[in-house]
Parts: sequence; structure tokens; C-alpha cells
Amino acid sequence: MAGFSDQRSWAAWCAPAERLRSSVAQIVTGTNGNGGIGAAIAWTDGGLFITSAHVIRSPRMAMVTPDGRRVPGELVWQERRRDVALVRAPGAAMPPVRTADPSVLRPGSLVMAIGHPFGLVDAVSTGVLQSVGELPLEFDFEGRSLRWVQADVRLGPGNSGGPLADADGRVIGVAAMIVAGMALAVPAPEVEALLASNR
Amino acid sequence: MTDNRTSLAILSDQLADAAATAGQSIVAVHARPRLPSTGIYWQEGVVVTTDGTVRRDSDITVTLADGRKLPATLAGRDRRTDLAVLRVSADSLPTARLGDPASLKPGHLVLALARLGEGGPRVSFGAVSAVGGRWRCWKGGEIDRLLQSNLTLYPGFGGGPLVDATGQIHGINSGGLSRAFATTIPVETVNRTVRQLLERGYVARGWLGAAMQPVRFNPVAQRRLGLESDSGLVILSVESDGPAASAGLLVGDVIVKLGGQPIEDVEDLVDALSRTDVVGRTFDLDLVRGGERVKADVLIGERPRRSA
Repeated sequence: MAGFSDQRSWAAWCAPAERLRSSVAQIVTGTNGNGGIGAAIAWTDGGLFITSAHVIRSPRMAMVTPDGRRVPGELVWQERRRDVALVRAPGAAMPPVRTADPSVLRPGSLVMAIGHPFGLVDAVSTGVLQSVGELPLEFDFEGRSLRWVQADVRLGPGNSGGPLADADGRVIGVAAMIVAGMALAVPAPEVEALLASNR
Repeated sequence: MTDNRTSLAILSDQLADAAATAGQSIVAVHARPRLPSTGIYWQEGVVVTTDGTVRRDSDITVTLADGRKLPATLAGRDRRTDLAVLRVSADSLPTARLGDPASLKPGHLVLALARLGEGGPRVSFGAVSAVGGRWRCWKGGEIDRLLQSNLTLYPGFGGGPLVDATGQIHGINSGGLSRAFATTIPVETVNRTVRQLLERGYVARGWLGAAMQPVRFNPVAQRRLGLESDSGLVILSVESDGPAASAGLLVGDVIVKLGGQPIEDVEDLVDALSRTDVVGRTFDLDLVRGGERVKADVLIGERPRRSA
């Protein structure tokens, strides 16, 4: 495969991941994380973060920034059915992500996820897009009829609320759950729509 | 840095191109309850999938890339290589672009494809983990080469293709042949199995028509007879009218070679008889009879089938 034969080209994997990592915080809820730990995405300027609603099991929460600062956060709103929450943490001062519409990507396109699976902070995993939309009828779980970004990428507990991004590092979804081994993420345009309707 | 980002985007596009190219000849196979499996339009009028995912012999349908749902009939299945062949009248469907599995090496990027119904192909991504020569899988089938990858075979991916970065298909992924890695049944094995299944609906296995057990020669006898190995298979009974009987084999004969290949234990003989196209061919047999070496010609028969 032309273009991937030297060290500099392999660095191509790192550049978008590195930039994306600067926009992903660790969210710790409750006292010392007993309310849940996940990832949160700096979505807009002014310290607004998107994460998964299921990560938040306590009204007390803090963000741990990529440079190790711990800043308090507060819940602005959450949509349990869509499993999305908005958290304000103005002290975090992190650059917001760029987003993209996953439905323009074709199956087989490279994707990457960033999160903190099993306590491993800022871990990157890579894979490919499988599909965008509802799951086939045969997958029986709550939320089957919602639209999901479905990807072949390995996630673990702690990836929840973190980004699923395309090869350019643009966020296409918010990692939510694993079904039949597949990573499911809330499509970025649906997050934008929730932001607009809750404004 | 702009260059770097571009090259990753190019790789991403190439993988999506490969999935789209190969995806044209991938179908969903509805031959079991609940989730469909995947099949490949291997040649004109023929879909190949894995035997393990075809749970009924009739009332089978396939869904094509363009969403058409067509009836299919089971032409035959081979449990040992985990392959099943369906006949479908699907004009204008492009047949699989087949690659040469010998060109794949550990580390090559590969995709697994699936189709679960209408909508695009589903893809998982990984690398070739191991390649090797001819092997016999636990189901008993002879596989022409070892081809394993770290691909995740999600539900419904069984029967789907292993695709390289250019979109060529190198074989059929089976979830049933190994647990640790995804195992691919290579193009060569699929081709010869499909040929046999289309011809007679099953894969014929070689048969001698004799019961045997391993026996050991003492060092003196081995030296006197000039045998390379100290063991062979002693014949315990001969079925009347079977190939062994026709070749004049007798109870007490010890088989030491078949077709020039040493036969030291039962595995060696089973391997030899499982080879492709041995049925109907004549092999020379090296025997020890009454303390002397003798030769015989044996016409390999077809193993009688339990449920024909």
C-alpha cells in the first residue's frame, strides 16, 4: 500500500488521534468515582462537554483534563433514552472537537475511539465503520430502533461518553454501548439536534 | 502533517473501496432461524456459504446487494470443510473477484464482509495473523492452506469473504473451524469442494474397505526388510467386494506405504484417503506379507455414505 512504507507515514495514525485526545476529558462522578467513570468530549467553547447519560449516577462530578487538572462540573441536561448528557465545566479550558456526519462515510472507512477503558487513560483504539442506522431486527435490545453508528472497534467500560472519530479526527459519534461485540455510538448530528432543542 | 492526514484518509478510502467492490457479490443467506448468515456469489448461479450456518435444506432465500430477495436451492454441503453450495438464478449479479491466497502474508491488512439483509455490507478490519501449508481441520476436512486473521467475526459474518486491500476475495471465513482466530477456507479448497458438490451433491472420500490397527516391527525385522519406519498398519479384516479385497489384500498384511508415502499410523492413512480426487485412482501399495515385502495396486473406492 503506497504511502505507508515509512515511519513518517505511520505517524499519520498519530496526528489526528493526538489532536482528538486534547479534547477528551475523564469524567468522575460521585465521591471518587463511585458514581461512575467515563469519558467526556469538549463539544463547544465555554466548557460544554458531551458525555453518556448512563455515566452520570450522581449530581457531584468533576472533569480530569488531559493535562491532569481536576475541575468541577455540573449537569446541564440529560436525555436518558438517547443516552446523552451535557455537562458544564468552564474551568477545563479544552479545545472543542470538530464533528462530521457519519452517514456520508462508507462501510470499511477507518474510525478511532478514545476513552479510558478499564482505567487506561486516553486509550486509542482503531477499527472500521460497519453501518449507520437501526440494527437488524434480530438484535433484541432496548434502543434497537434508534439510529446508531455501528463500528468494528474494541471498546471497554470507560469508553462511554468518549468520541468515535473518522480518519481526520472528526467526531462522528458518542460511544454508548457494546452489542454483540459491536461498538454503538450516538450519531453526531443527533447530538447536535439535542443541543439545539435544549438550548 | 497535512500529508500525514491525507495518507490516512487515503487508506480509509481504499478500505471503503475494497469493501464496496467485494460487497457487490456478497449476499445474505436466510437458512436458519433469526439472524441470516453471509454468502458469496462465487460463480454464475452459485452462492457459497458455511455449512454450519445452513440449518435447513429447503425454504432458503438470499438477499442481494440491490435488495432483491431470491429463492435458493441447496446443491450440497460438506460438513468436513464447513462449506455449503446454493443454486440461485441471479442474472446481472457480478461474481466474486478471486485473489491468490498464496500472496497473503502475516501483517497484510484484510477485511471480513457480511450482509445481514438490505443495506450495505458490514465490515470488520484486521490483519493476517498466520499462514501455512495444508492442514486437516477438526471436522476432518482437508484445507489447502492455513489462513488465519485477527478479524472479529460478528454474528452473521460466518460464510462471508476474507477481502484484501484491493477488494479481492481470498476465501470464506468460518466461525466453526477455530476459536482463537478467525479461520479462512482458502479459494483453492472452496473451488474443489464447490466442483464436487455441484457434480454429485457431496464430497466423495476415499475408502479401502479394510479394518486395520498400527503394528510395530522389531529392529531385526525392520533391518532385514529394509523398512524406513518401524511401524505400519496390519489388516484385521477385509470387506468382501471392497477395494482392498479386489486388490488381493489379506488379513495379516501390513501396509507400510501408499502411493510411495509412508503409512505409520491410522492418521497417515486417513490423511491420504481424505485428499482431493483420490477416489477412482489407482495407487501402489507397499506391504509386508509373511515376512516378505510385496507390492499391490489398489483402486481407491468411495466411502459408503451413512445417509445417502
